[in-house]
Amino acid sequence: MKPVSLRPFLPRPALRRRLPREFRHYALQTSGVPTLQVFNDRIKHLQRERAASDAEASRRVDYLRDEVANRLCERLLDITRHFPSVLDLGANACNIARALTAPNPDSPALSTRLSHLTSADTSHTFLHRDVDLPFNALLPAHTRTVLPPADTPLPFKPQSFNAILSSLSLHWVNDLPSLLSQINHILKPDSPFIAAMLGGDSLFELRTSLQLADLDRRGGVSTHVSPLADVRDMGGLLTKAGFKLLTVDVDDIIVDYPSVFALMTDLQAMGESNAALTAEKSGLRRDVLAATEGIYRELHGNGGESVPATFRIIYMIGWSEGDGQSKPLPRGTGQVNMKDILGGGEIK
Amino acid sequence: MPGRTRPIEKFAEAVAKCSAEASVYGKCIIADYNGVYKDKCLTEFMKLKDCYTAAAKRR
Repeated sequence: MKPVSLRPFLPRPALRRRLPREFRHYALQTSGVPTLQVFNDRIKHLQRERAASDAEASRRVDYLRDEVANRLCERLLDITRHFPSVLDLGANACNIARALTAPNPDSPALSTRLSHLTSADTSHTFLHRDVDLPFNALLPAHTRTVLPPADTPLPFKPQSFNAILSSLSLHWVNDLPSLLSQINHILKPDSPFIAAMLGGDSLFELRTSLQLADLDRRGGVSTHVSPLADVRDMGGLLTKAGFKLLTVDVDDIIVDYPSVFALMTDLQAMGESNAALTAEKSGLRRDVLAATEGIYRELHGNGGESVPATFRIIYMIGWSEGDGQSKPLPRGTGQVNMKDILGGGEIK
Repeated sequence: MPGRTRPIEKFAEAVAKCSAEASVYGKCIIADYNGVYKDKCLTEFMKLKDCYTAAAKRR
């Protein structure tokens, strides 16, 4: 039988229409797997826009972001390379850009090691807050990119960056596995992804005090502090996203505040207020607030005028796969018995 | 926001004036923090609340 071509029967546009290259993305998640929504992206966006619109208050609470950005950039020092194109994902107020231009006593500022920096964030106001400050002039080339809302794919071409940095913004991402694999795709082969995020037991003092106050005042517990990823999860997530040569470590930053109110005001000014979907829309009641102040001071207080708050920062480094990287050998190829090297006898 | 005190700041000031009561209340709660139930420390809390409402009115 003669094969029949379907071509003449197809409508013309179906043959011709092809999406432009910019709109094509990798399929990142198997269909049918629903994403677990933890945070309300819209509320988070509004909180950050609002926080950044008061530039003065927002700069006053930059202490945490600047410190973490500095520590993150120190890790970049260990990689002796020149980076033609670097992306700062979730840039907040371009704190990484500022840290890169900071003068360094031993070597020239880190910004000399890169040719082009792209700072990307979903909040336009936050991203452009410090656009007039002098550090901008010290960067070789700097682009600010406003990202589309959180659940849309990243607007970057595959394999376009030599390094991706991210400081204190991954903890608000709902679909972390998908974002991490997108990051892996837009990295060039054998390039590092270096990130810092809040995690684990950050603000455990506030969390526990609020729970106790809620229990006593209202007889139950409500979500007042957003949940955070755990250190143990991050290694697994990075591996799943295809990163190699992982390093994950933890650093605690403890900040003393005059009172719980000062801590909460600062968190709000950072744009880091609670945005969990399960949070009560009405917010905290005054009774619970006053009770929290009393409990926090007694349970965690420094005994004097101040109360501590712990920020647990998870640092992670992952490399995209590339030639020349050392890889683990396949199972069962070992030639030497570990017992001969390490010693030790029979198990009794 | 210059020239305008947020209501929460006034509240924070009022609570700050009642550190003695807050401390008594906090001690009551953490005496057994695994067994907290509703209104466990009601009397201590009412003293704290009376104090900060009075402090808020004074100014």
